[in-house]
Amino acid sequence: MSGAILDLSKEAMPDGFSAEVCVIGSGSGGATAARLMAEAGHEVVVLEEGRDLVGPERTQRDAPMYDQLYMDRGGRASHDLSVSVLQGRVLGGGGVINTCDVVPIPDGVLQHWAVKYGLEDYAPERFKPFTEDALADLSASRIPESLVNLANAKLRQGADALGLRGEVMLHNRVGCRGLGTCLIGCPIHAKRNPRMVALPKAIEAGARIFTRARAVKVQNASQELKEIEVRALDPGGYHEQNELKIRAKIVIIAANAVSSAQLLLRSGIGNAHVGKNLMLQPQLPIIGIFDERIAAFDGIPQSYAVTAFEQEDNHEFGLWGFRIEGIMGTPGIVSSLLPFSGAPGMEGMAQYDRMAPSLLLAPDAPSGRVEVARDGRLTIRYEQRDNHRERLRQAVEAAAKVYLEAGAREVLVPTVPALVIRSAREAKQARELRFAAATAPMLSAHQQGTVRFAASERDGGADLNGQVYGTRDVYVFDSSGFPSSASSHTMTPIIASSRMLTSKLLTRI
Amino acid sequence: MATANEERERDGLFSFLSRRRFLKLSLVAGGTILGVGGAGVLALRGRAPKVEGLQVLDAHEYQTLQRLVVVMLPQTAAIPVDAAAMDLPRAFDDFLANEPEHNVEDLKKALVLIELGPLVFEKKLTTFSRLSAADRAEHWNAWAVSDNLLRRQVSIAMRKFFNLVYFDHEQVWPHIGYPGPSMKRTKGVTP
Repeated sequence: MSGAILDLSKEAMPDGFSAEVCVIGSGSGGATAARLMAEAGHEVVVLEEGRDLVGPERTQRDAPMYDQLYMDRGGRASHDLSVSVLQGRVLGGGGVINTCDVVPIPDGVLQHWAVKYGLEDYAPERFKPFTEDALADLSASRIPESLVNLANAKLRQGADALGLRGEVMLHNRVGCRGLGTCLIGCPIHAKRNPRMVALPKAIEAGARIFTRARAVKVQNASQELKEIEVRALDPGGYHEQNELKIRAKIVIIAANAVSSAQLLLRSGIGNAHVGKNLMLQPQLPIIGIFDERIAAFDGIPQSYAVTAFEQEDNHEFGLWGFRIEGIMGTPGIVSSLLPFSGAPGMEGMAQYDRMAPSLLLAPDAPSGRVEVARDGRLTIRYEQRDNHRERLRQAVEAAAKVYLEAGAREVLVPTVPALVIRSAREAKQARELRFAAATAPMLSAHQQGTVRFAASERDGGADLNGQVYGTRDVYVFDSSGFPSSASSHTMTPIIASSRMLTSKLLTRI
Repeated sequence: MATANEERERDGLFSFLSRRRFLKLSLVAGGTILGVGGAGVLALRGRAPKVEGLQVLDAHEYQTLQRLVVVMLPQTAAIPVDAAAMDLPRAFDDFLANEPEHNVEDLKKALVLIELGPLVFEKKLTTFSRLSAADRAEHWNAWAVSDNLLRRQVSIAMRKFFNLVYFDHEQVWPHIGYPGPSMKRTKGVTP
């Protein structure tokens, strides 16, 4: 059988299937590993729980797209609903639903990892070629000025007026027409993401890709031949249909920091570190409301970032501080983030076309945990720390001043109760925000940690090759291994890291 | 086929009301409900008109959601679109039909809690559906800002689902200045 995509909800997998390499997850880490392994002549199969949703099937409509492109139909969240956990569930993974931000791991962070955690392969000079290859995979380029929409231009205008450093971001779009719905899939495939680059190359090299295939357990993890228990899902991806087994010598898990740890825990694989040190990097939306029409839904939603408050070489944490990035979503998702119900909510949404929203992104310390109960139920346990709350307060105050400087009539902080800021003086009220559980619509798009890479089993869940301790050739090649926050956006770091780890693996087999 | 335990893989927005937490809340509420008595609660709830074609919800739950939707998404001068006419509770029923069993159980408990909210949280001898429209709005709005985490969580879950579905309706878009999906209005763009 040559390389192909096989939808297990519609077609049966060949009986007694085996492959040399089984990659679990088709996002940045998995697709990259699958491609490199297949191109090196190895027999590769990729398992993806989502389906291959392409072209006009990406309807730019909220309800069906959140249902089909996101894990738990868009409903995944931390244990107390304080943080919505946005995780892709589609062929190509998070790269299909992200805002295309290309932000490599800063040298300060790489240095931090090499010195504090002993990850010598990530030392800036050694890691540089892998980042360069990742940037080439992504066709990375600076977003053209013509595609910076008015909402992002307002953010830049305010930052410039206040003398705050910022930048038009790098992205991985080619042929972008500014359709605006990056978060629910690009219908014209302008994103040079894993779905459009690594996976086609993997297929060309012979890789077989099974969609609607949920990996539920890896067995015989310490033996030469592993057995992966797989459930074929129904066409909607809602229910498990039948059970299948795949045999493979090498298992590469790259299913996202939450799901990779979930699979290991469920399989009973790994040491006590597995599941711990989760970082959700929660982001808080804030909305500048203008008297004029902004139409932030047109054009690239996220093209400008205020980086003045970001630290790349914090002694204790590596990446720290915060950044402010423009953003916009379709009406359904924006309305669901507003703190109002009833008439005030309707009044709020009546201003939809005059909104210029941002996300306040503050890296967090590794403090969360992925748990799988005896009955199999997943819990993402996450408590926001004071040092995160404090930086968010500073970020709210700074962002409010930026928008007011750009001419916003008011700035809405969508906490309950809502905070509306109408002057620079009022911005100080941000210092009183408590951020109690489930009072602010925090979003996580960059989950990391959970199977930390470490030179010793005492300090992490996987070794410096990404091999899970206590296993034979079971690896994690996604953001699970990152010991601290890699970057403000994780696609590029994951691709670069997976490239490095796969290259090392290829030299050993 | 997957076992029930294996289906219990997912956590999150629609599976927050664990048995343990519901039990705890029920104990708090128990005094009030015991005071009224089981028969009294049933009498308070009254009858709900039969609804054809529901897959998961019963008529009472459907009625609770009908009332809730109007409170959450009222017709206003700015957005004069009637949420009640969209049959959003049926969309919720369709959604539940494809959710894991434990999520369905949790959300049904949440609906019970909403319906008995005035009794449980305000010690009023009435139910959510029986409140006047104004009282219902006041009661529901208190959930979002409540000191009780569970009430805030129920508020978030309901708001997230119903807002997402309501604002995905084309009739609403002209009132919020949204011209609709860009593919339909951008000439010359082909996949």
